[in-house]
Amino acid sequence: MPDATALRAQTAALLPQLTQTLGADFLEAVSSEDMDEVAMLPGGLPAAAELLLANGFTMLLDIGCTDHLPLTPRFEVSYHFLKFDLETNAPDGRINSTAPQVPARFRLRVFPDDLDPHVPSLAKLWPSADWAEREVWDFFGVRFDGHPDLRRILMPDDWAGHPLRKDYPLRGLDRRFTPGGRVGEVPPVITK
Amino acid sequence: MTIEDTEIGRTDSTAKEVRKRDDLRIFALAPDPEAATVDERDTLVLSMGPQHPSTHGVLRVMLRLDGETVLTAEPEIGYLHTGIEKQCENLFWQQAITVVERADYLAPLLNGLCYVLAAERLLGIKDVPPRAQVLRVMFAELTRIASHLVWLGTHAMDLGAQSIFMYAFEMRERILDIMEFVTGARMHQSWFRIGGLAIDVPKGFLAKMDDFIARFPTRLADMRRILEKNVIIMDRLVGVGAISASDAIAWGLTGPNLRASGIAYDVRKAYPYSGYEQYDFDVCVASGGDCYARFVVRLNEMQQAWRIIKQACERFPDGPVAIADRKIIPPPKTEIQHSMEALIHHFKLVSSGFNVPEGHVYQSVESPRGELGMYVTSAGGNKPWRVRWRPPSFYNLQALRKLAPRNLVADVVAIIGSLDPVFGEVDR
Amino acid sequence: MSPQQPFFTTRLDQFLKWAQESAVWPMTMGLACCAIEMMSIVSPRYDVSRFGSEVFRSSPRQSDLMIVSGRVANKMAPILRQLYEQMPDPKWVISMGACASSGGVFDNYAILPGVDSILPVDVYVPGCPPSPDALIYALMQLRREIEAGGKANVLARA
Repeated sequence: MPDATALRAQTAALLPQLTQTLGADFLEAVSSEDMDEVAMLPGGLPAAAELLLANGFTMLLDIGCTDHLPLTPRFEVSYHFLKFDLETNAPDGRINSTAPQVPARFRLRVFPDDLDPHVPSLAKLWPSADWAEREVWDFFGVRFDGHPDLRRILMPDDWAGHPLRKDYPLRGLDRRFTPGGRVGEVPPVITK
Repeated sequence: MTIEDTEIGRTDSTAKEVRKRDDLRIFALAPDPEAATVDERDTLVLSMGPQHPSTHGVLRVMLRLDGETVLTAEPEIGYLHTGIEKQCENLFWQQAITVVERADYLAPLLNGLCYVLAAERLLGIKDVPPRAQVLRVMFAELTRIASHLVWLGTHAMDLGAQSIFMYAFEMRERILDIMEFVTGARMHQSWFRIGGLAIDVPKGFLAKMDDFIARFPTRLADMRRILEKNVIIMDRLVGVGAISASDAIAWGLTGPNLRASGIAYDVRKAYPYSGYEQYDFDVCVASGGDCYARFVVRLNEMQQAWRIIKQACERFPDGPVAIADRKIIPPPKTEIQHSMEALIHHFKLVSSGFNVPEGHVYQSVESPRGELGMYVTSAGGNKPWRVRWRPPSFYNLQALRKLAPRNLVADVVAIIGSLDPVFGEVDR
Repeated sequence: MSPQQPFFTTRLDQFLKWAQESAVWPMTMGLACCAIEMMSIVSPRYDVSRFGSEVFRSSPRQSDLMIVSGRVANKMAPILRQLYEQMPDPKWVISMGACASSGGVFDNYAILPGVDSILPVDVYVPGCPPSPDALIYALMQLRREIEAGGKANVLARA
């Protein structure tokens, strides 16, 4: 069973590789306390994704987004990856080893444009990206180019606005279904 | 009051139009290439849910059927969207624990644990007392057993074994009794705090735990004897919803769903937290990747969780249950009554919380459904800037689009049950 | 029993109310955490079938009682209303838990501030989640209410 330090050495070796591949799209590489990560612009995402896939990061664990308003760049789309040790894999996809897996972890942080955020979609490379990208679109309004079916997933289909943005009020822009007019006026916008 | 009097009538029709337009798109995107070869006019579109006894919550699955065979299954979620992530951004760090627990409502303490561990990492707290660690592990495992019992009861009931529901829930009541004895609440205990626990366990706790430890194995063995080699269970589950290991990884499955395909990934072993490295337990794996494998893995997990609880009870150290830092954990009430400083600390914590240094961290725990992760970002303030959930059920449920095609309609129920989704977590 | 009312229809009335209250069959309207506590009342310890709610019917056409157990999201509200309309008369609604009664812990864009925005509620049950005892008490209150013949809002505290 590989230990944590060996794994971090593995992922740390990726940092200079990514720096080189991304070129102008590279922003910074950090060895955080929890895992290694690279911050980049969206143009470099396809190349970075190919590199990670080639290095065995076969599981896309999560795609999330954070809105850093009033800082700029505002949106941070975060990708977390896991790399399993599949060398003992049999041809039919069955795994022979039952020793506990200790996967390596990696994070990418992509900073798209503030006013018209676009990020290339990873749905063709990792099927788990499909719904996660729809959710980021639903809540933040970040478009994923090349996504097969980008539409709202958790909010109703005819909802206006992207609720998790920082300039979207907590109580919403209107209250549906309150015939008695139960809610008062919308509180002031949170900016910090 | 009729539908037209309310907003619902108007908005519902708009939603219907939107849905009709999207429906045509959904079914053109079948992940299963074989599905596209059947003539659309020969197929039936069946909307299963969102109110349905077997969807384990508010799930709508749009099934395209060719007779009884499923061609495409498109789950539609969002019927329980609660805005928990946004709510957390408007509560103090310690207040958000209560809201966070309501996501995965079958294992509330584990949501709380993940959040609390993430906050502790951001704060740089490394000295949570051993008693607190042991109690966290013990209650996390009790929660795991309780969650698996609900899974077992409802899954078996879906397959027809209604009496198992009664046995499983009876056992679960004993666990909830322990929870109520210690924390005061059956569900949503909100007991974990950043820096330890809210209160210590009362006298008589170990006796209750010993009683549970003595009773549980026989009851679990009873249920296993009825179910594990049962002809009907095997007929309904073996070979249904099979997924290979590489597909499971590609679709982001974790937890028992991934371990049933042969990959022994358990966050408690891989990235241990709360002292899990000190406990002796096995990672439950099965090969086959079908519903039966997932069934067996969860049954085994209950056994392993019991083992951990037993070790935790033997280990049970004395000491405080929270760190001594008064800026994070409030002082005991007795002290507040005669110390000005303690009073001020308490006032400060309740009225304006505490500040957490800037940064971001990804913390994961092993929930009964898989890898529950939280990517917490702090902007240096007294409220979390962003709490991004990595909900295991969200990704598990997405795999339904891969698992359900080519199975029968009745198998869809078995597959949903074997994936064990919780919609509080899927929709947040 | 008022002396002006005719004897036969009063007896019939009482008989109908007794029939209605003795076998209130709830619909499986489990939304969130409260649904788990609602499932617990079927379990052997609390056993709601001794109060007449022998089965939980999945079809609204066959049920009398909608126990709205859990938080009501905006997407679910029209469906709740449709299910309520599909239930045949006489029908009752128990709003179980803080979220269904008033929005509960959540005060945001996503959750209805109480299911009584869209449905007429007969009994409200506070709690987050209410213990199964509280829900059974609410059921008993509902039965008393059916017997009394009124549709007043009742707060079940247990």
